[in-house]
Parts: sequence; structure tokens; C-alpha cells
Amino acid sequence: MTAVTVPASPRVEAMAARRLWAQRGTLLVLLYSAILMLFLIVPLLVVLWRTASSGQLGPYLANDVVVSALRLSILTTTIALTSSVVFGTPLAYLLARGRFPGRGVIDTLVDLPMVLPPAVAGVALLLTFGRRGLLGGWLGALGIEVGFTTAAVVLAEVFVAAPFYVRAAKTGFEGVDRELEYVSGSLGASSLRTFLRVTVPLAMPALLGGAVMTWARALGEFGATIMFAGNFPGTTQTMPLAIYVAMERDLPAALVLASILIVASFVVLLGFKTLARARVSAVP
Amino acid sequence: MLEVAIEKRLRDFELRTAFSADDELIVLFGPSGAGKSVTVRSIAGIITPDAGSIKIDGRPVFDASRGIDVPIQKRHVGYVPQHYGLFPHLSVGENVAYGLAGIPADRARARVSDMLGRLDLAGYERRRPRELSGGQQQRVALARALITEPRVLLLDEPFSALDSMLRARLRRDLLTIHRQFPVTTIFISHDLGEAYTLADKIAVYDRGSVLQVGSRDDIFRRPASGRVARLTGASNVFPARLVARAEPHGRGVACDEPERGHGLRVQLAGTDSILAAEDPGGLLQASVSICIRPEAIVVEDLSTADRPNRIRARVLDHVPGATSVTLFCEASASLAGQGRIEFEAVIPAERFRILKLANGAECVLHLPPADLFVLPDDESNG
Repeated sequence: MTAVTVPASPRVEAMAARRLWAQRGTLLVLLYSAILMLFLIVPLLVVLWRTASSGQLGPYLANDVVVSALRLSILTTTIALTSSVVFGTPLAYLLARGRFPGRGVIDTLVDLPMVLPPAVAGVALLLTFGRRGLLGGWLGALGIEVGFTTAAVVLAEVFVAAPFYVRAAKTGFEGVDRELEYVSGSLGASSLRTFLRVTVPLAMPALLGGAVMTWARALGEFGATIMFAGNFPGTTQTMPLAIYVAMERDLPAALVLASILIVASFVVLLGFKTLARARVSAVP
Repeated sequence: MLEVAIEKRLRDFELRTAFSADDELIVLFGPSGAGKSVTVRSIAGIITPDAGSIKIDGRPVFDASRGIDVPIQKRHVGYVPQHYGLFPHLSVGENVAYGLAGIPADRARARVSDMLGRLDLAGYERRRPRELSGGQQQRVALARALITEPRVLLLDEPFSALDSMLRARLRRDLLTIHRQFPVTTIFISHDLGEAYTLADKIAVYDRGSVLQVGSRDDIFRRPASGRVARLTGASNVFPARLVARAEPHGRGVACDEPERGHGLRVQLAGTDSILAAEDPGGLLQASVSICIRPEAIVVEDLSTADRPNRIRARVLDHVPGATSVTLFCEASASLAGQGRIEFEAVIPAERFRILKLANGAECVLHLPPADLFVLPDDESNG
């Protein structure tokens, strides 16, 4: 066996150099990714680590502030999510399927709360539903007081979070082949039956994704809530507000609440992704 | 019985269509964008025409002048779109049972399994559509539509995305199923062979109009116009002059196939060739068109040049196919000062070799009278 060594031609050398650069490129991609990953993860891990090492997790799970904020957040986000789905599904379907003048404008208006600062939402809600607001006077005459109540928390959450559901649901409905709806109709199914048996099941991954985003956004709602609903323990002090207050007075309470939010959000997101993947492989 | 006479203004053209069909398979044939799909969607109730009426078994499901527009749910039409429109999230059994809502579950189950059995789908009940072959998917789509006993079955180019071998098999399947369930079936196609294989009746569409409705033989052997002839593949259409017509039951004029007694004599414009041709009947002006399908032309060597219905020609170009060769020939008989007359002929590859043809070669085109059709002159000549 004879080994033949051929002197590397300039072209081969150039190729090798390019490959090295390509490898450096790969390294750069990994490096940049790692930096951002660490930036996103480390602070959250710090919160969890500080909570665990403080030894206060057990006692504070029964703490009044923690328990009432947790209970209030669960209650308000559940109602906010339900209202978003109940009212947002028809709107999303209309935006996806309807052809009417001004559709583009309405579509944009629905998206607006997603990009507006929550403080703007807070001002807008106060000026509309507050005691001296546009509707507040009428509501007051009927004996309904909205501002600085739990209802205000829900309104603030729906205002900022519902657009996430509408957006996702609209995209989901648009992705359903209209021919399938026509076929369903030709087989005698009413519009409602077609919607429930064909359109909704096929759009389900998008609907679930939108619901998760809406729930997460409602859970984290802070700015609009504190302006419009105030910060009263038991009635309007949701978890983010309680964390804000506790950071000054009772750090362990803030840590416990923050940890609960982190863990709960992670579990829900991961669960949704797993579920969505399972559905995607079940439905082409 | 289906009767359609509708108009619909569309972005690129205006659809005007009128035809009727009994319990037969009618193919809407024509180029893409001719209005075939709009017609089918109007019958289904997906699109609302601007004017006219649609009757199914004598009952109007649409009538613009009387304000009738029965919704799709109540029209009792079976609609099978391109790619079949199977519900991907439902099993085969659930797909087929979809239209049986309101029927007791045990009876519905019995009908579904009976239908699956008849369409050779037994045992596939629990499968998902995507686990099936193209042929099985088509049968599921047909089963799902037929189980509701529709009075019209609409198939919107179901084979358009398939390869030719699969298409041929699905056509055979479709014909078998149509014989089993003889219901008015409308099938859209822009494939000539497909239209010919499937149709009891063909409606030829072009730019929003129905040019001709008739049996397969009518369309292919007695095209109503040069446009129909071209659309249905009779690409040789030439202006001609009617020079003689035999009396009905008369002796006719002597020609090379006297037993057929082809009654017309026409002169190919721009030449002095007199050709015998089929008499389509009806009124004919002196100025007519003649047409012949490329595969009906028989190419011969120069020894037959003096026999009747022959035209001397020169090969301009040829395109070899798998089993045949397409020749483009120029008639040498053109009179001085007249435009060129170009024929397209398709001959077996074997014959091309035997005749030792090549570009520039001289040959004789035999236009058999039985395949030479005379049409009323129309503006699409030339």
C-alpha cells in the first residue's frame, strides 16, 4: 500500500479555508444563541433558587397576601379567558371569513391593544368605565360600580389579552379549507354544525395556542390593572401587583409568588406544545 | 333531471351557460378558466348566479326572477371538490356517516358499512383519510356523497393533481360507480381523453359560453364550429367552398368509398383540390369550413397522389412521441398567391420510419371522407 501525497492546490486550500469559516460561523451561531438563552433563563433560575434557599416556601404558601393574590389571579384570568373565547371566537370567524367594507381597519383595531402600552389601556378604561367615564355615569345610576373592583381587573385583563386569542383564532379559521365547509353543507349540515364539527376541530391547535397566549397575558397584566382597578388586597391585588408591593415590604412573599408564576407558566406552555404536537401528528 | 340556464358576471368574462342532463354522466369540458367550476359551484349553491334558473327534478333550486335560492344544505347535491374534501380529523366511517345526521345510530351504521362494502372499502372504517391511497380517497368521497342519495353528483376536476396511470384507474372506478348509482353526474375536466372516456354527454366550454352540448359522438364527429373542433383536438380547420351536394337518397357522386355515399364536395380554399366529405345535414352556405383530426389523416407515399381525397404536401417539421410522430406539413397544392395551408397529422412511429419521412420530404395526405367534417363557416376560421 502506497500513500500518495498530493500538494494541496490553491483551490483546495481555499475550500478548506471556507469550511473553517463555515465552522467559525457555526461557533458564532452557538455563541450568540447561548448568550441570549442565558440572559433569558438565568434571572428566572435566580428567582427559583432564592425562593428555595430562603426556606420560606412552605410557610408562605399559606401566607394571606400570597393566597389571596393567587386566588384572585386564578379567578380573574379564568373569567377573562372565558370571555375572550366566548366573544372572540365569533369575531375571529367574522374577520377570517367575512368580506365587508372596513374589514382591514377593524382587523387592525382589534390588534391595537396588543401593541399599546398597558398604561394607555388603563387610562382608556378609566375614562370609559370609571365613575366619571363615558359609561361610568350610567352604570353608576344603575348601581353598578366598576372602577377599583374585581370586575375592573377582569375588564383590564380582557382588554389587553383578548386580542391574542382573536388573532390566533382568525389565523386558525383562515387555515381551514373552505371546500370542507361547502362539502359539509352539501351533506345537509347547518352552518352551526359545520362550524362545530369541521371548522373548530380543524382550527383547534390555533384556538388552543391563542387561549394559552391570552391566559398568559392576562396572568401577567399589571399596568392597566393598577391604574384602572387599583391595588387592594383581596379584591384587585393580583399576583403581579402583590409581587410589586411585596418587593418593598416582604421579599419572601414576592419570591414565592414569582416562583409560582414561573413554574405554572412553564408547565402550561410545555403542556400546550406537547398537546399541539400530538394533534398535529393526528391531523395532517 | 337537471336543467341549468344561468348567467354570472365574473372578473374576466361573463358566464352564460345552458344545458340539461338526465341520469347520465355529463362532462363540462374546456380550457381552464372557461367557467366550468363556476357552473358547478352555482349548481351546488356555493355561488349565486346573477340571472337564470337551476332546476333539479323539475324543482327550482335557483330562480333569479322568482327570488328562489335554496341553500346548499337543502339542495340534495353531492359535492366532491378537487382533492376530494375528505374531513382529515374524522375516520373513513365518520366521513361517510357525516350526512346521515338525524338517522338512528344503528341504522346509520348499517348503511355506512353497506356503502363501504359496495365501494370496495370494507375494513377501512377506522382509518384516517391520509392513510388511504388516492383511489381509496376518491371512493370514500363518492361513498360519503352517495349515501345521502343526492339527486345530482358534482365532481370538480377530482383527478387534476394525479399522475396519468392513477387517473386511468380512477376513471374506470368512477364509471363502475356511476353504473351502480345512476344519478345525474357532472364532471369537470380539461383533459380531452378524460372527457371522451367518461362522458355520456359533453358540454364544451370556452370563455364563459357553452359552445356545444351533445353526445360524445356529436362533439367529436360533428363539431358545431371550428372553435369546438379545435378545442376537441381537431386542429386542422380550413376555409372551403361547397361545390356540390348529393340529393338525399340519390345516387351521390362517385368517389373512392362509394358504399358510404358521402354527400358533399368541397373545394379547399386556396387550392384546386376537390374533396369528398360527410354531409352533416342542415343548412349550409357556399362558404364553409372543413376539419379533420390529426390522427385521422393517413400519410402515404407519392404513388397515390392522383387518387381522390389526396393532397400533396411537404413535411415542415416533425415531433416524435413515444409511439407516434406528429407531422407538420404544408400543402403543395396551394395556388400561386394564396397563403400556406398547414396540416397537422399524427401517424404511428412505425409508419414514419417505413415512409422514410424527414423534414422537407414530399408525401401525400389522405383525408378519408368519413373523417372530413364540414362545418358552417365561423369567424374563428383562419
